[in-house]
Amino acid sequence: MTRPLLAIRSVSQRFGVDGAIVPALESIDLEIPDGQFVSVVGPSGCGKSTLLSLVAGLRIPTSGTVLCDGEPITEPMPRKVGMIFQEANLLPWLSAVDNVAFPLKLRRVPKAERLAAARRMLELTGLAGFESRLPHQLSGGMKQRVAIARGLVQNPAVLLMDEPFASLDEQTRMVLGDELLRIWSETRKTVLFVTHSLNEAVYLADRVVVLSARPGRVVDDVIVDLPRPRSFAMTSGERFGALKDRIWQHIKHAERR
Amino acid sequence: MRRYERLVVAAGALGLFLLWEGLVRRGAIDASLAPAPSTILDALGTLLRRPEVLASLGVTAWEVLAAFLIAVPVGLGLGFLLAEVAALDALFRPLVNFLFGVPKSIFLPVFILMFGVSIPQKIAFGVFTTIFVLIVGGVAAVQSVPRELVTVSRVYGASRWQIVREIYLPAMAPILIESARLGMVFNITAVLLCEIYGARDGIGYRIAAWGENLQMPQLYAALVVVAAAAVAVNEALRRVEARLGAWRQRA
Repeated sequence: MTRPLLAIRSVSQRFGVDGAIVPALESIDLEIPDGQFVSVVGPSGCGKSTLLSLVAGLRIPTSGTVLCDGEPITEPMPRKVGMIFQEANLLPWLSAVDNVAFPLKLRRVPKAERLAAARRMLELTGLAGFESRLPHQLSGGMKQRVAIARGLVQNPAVLLMDEPFASLDEQTRMVLGDELLRIWSETRKTVLFVTHSLNEAVYLADRVVVLSARPGRVVDDVIVDLPRPRSFAMTSGERFGALKDRIWQHIKHAERR
Repeated sequence: MRRYERLVVAAGALGLFLLWEGLVRRGAIDASLAPAPSTILDALGTLLRRPEVLASLGVTAWEVLAAFLIAVPVGLGLGFLLAEVAALDALFRPLVNFLFGVPKSIFLPVFILMFGVSIPQKIAFGVFTTIFVLIVGGVAAVQSVPRELVTVSRVYGASRWQIVREIYLPAMAPILIESARLGMVFNITAVLLCEIYGARDGIGYRIAAWGENLQMPQLYAALVVVAAAAVAVNEALRRVEARLGAWRQRA
């Protein structure tokens, strides 16, 4: 077996809250091969977002290590890891194209070069023609497309997505889900996708990792053996329902505690 | 404002002045208290040709500018410190909030005792009056910076200095300019109050003297000059603010 692109090795994370120590993640072990689309689900407050922030290098785990391409992550690695949040978090004073080019600007890539790259990414995410719009002139779905373009502009190997569609309406999130799959099939990034929606988790992913309630542990690791390309019709199929039901059993159990 | 609106405003103002002029000429308004606009305009022309009046305007402008140039960086700097250092905030915020709400004019006699009736006294009092709005503005500016944008920049590898330059400065700019503009209003008021209360030069000193001698045309002409200058400064800063804060508009 080839070396996994992302390796999370017995990672635990504890937080000190008002003098008490709260465990957020407990002995997480995951290996993610290059190009895999992995959804992470779990009951509210199970540490899904914490897991992403560890891979993003925004914090260092209390114990254990996170490896990307064999290299331990101890600080943000913008060229290897892109991140997309629940809110688009665009810089409101920059146009769409300047927002997408922002990570390149931080690396002092020459202006013409970074703008050209940003335009290509906006095209990829279906926003050609909206380059000069300011964020407040874009709809919620379009803002999230800009954020995805920004996440991809450095061509990172890993894309972290922290409930990226959670603040969008149902139709927009379905459209964007399909868009994400199209972009993923064109770019073949390794995606770690945190979501509350079981439909979304199963529909998008090759594999769904289920975390338990706090402290988060891996309670199930489900291979989604639905064919690609995925289609809306599959969501009412028997296999889709069976996978969703298997995941739901874990979460139902945890939320009831 | 649209062209049509401008025309209406201009016509309204002109009508008001014509009415005033007519009422004074018919003796319905006491010309010794409210001279006709034509008389004031006349006095204005004469004043602006008198070197000692121009010198007084220069003195006032210098006091206002000096106080502004001290109060803005110092006030904003203190605001940033309070916003970033929790211990300083806990220590000084009650004092700042207390002094922010107190009318500064009651401290004027203290400044005269400390600095004498002098230009430094005017500047010091201007700084004292202005600085609180800038401290509060500095705190508000820092607090207005969205934390999520700082996180995003960190994910994309921004250094501390890049976060300051790319996130903090543009996010804070509109509030900083707005604070400076509000500060300027307080500053001009404070310096003129000082000059009217007790001074040897400055346009406020002349306004007080003309008032005491019932030289109403000169008094009103000086008011026109001061008002025009204050409005010009205010409008200039407002334009900068509008340009730097265009992104804040909601679609």
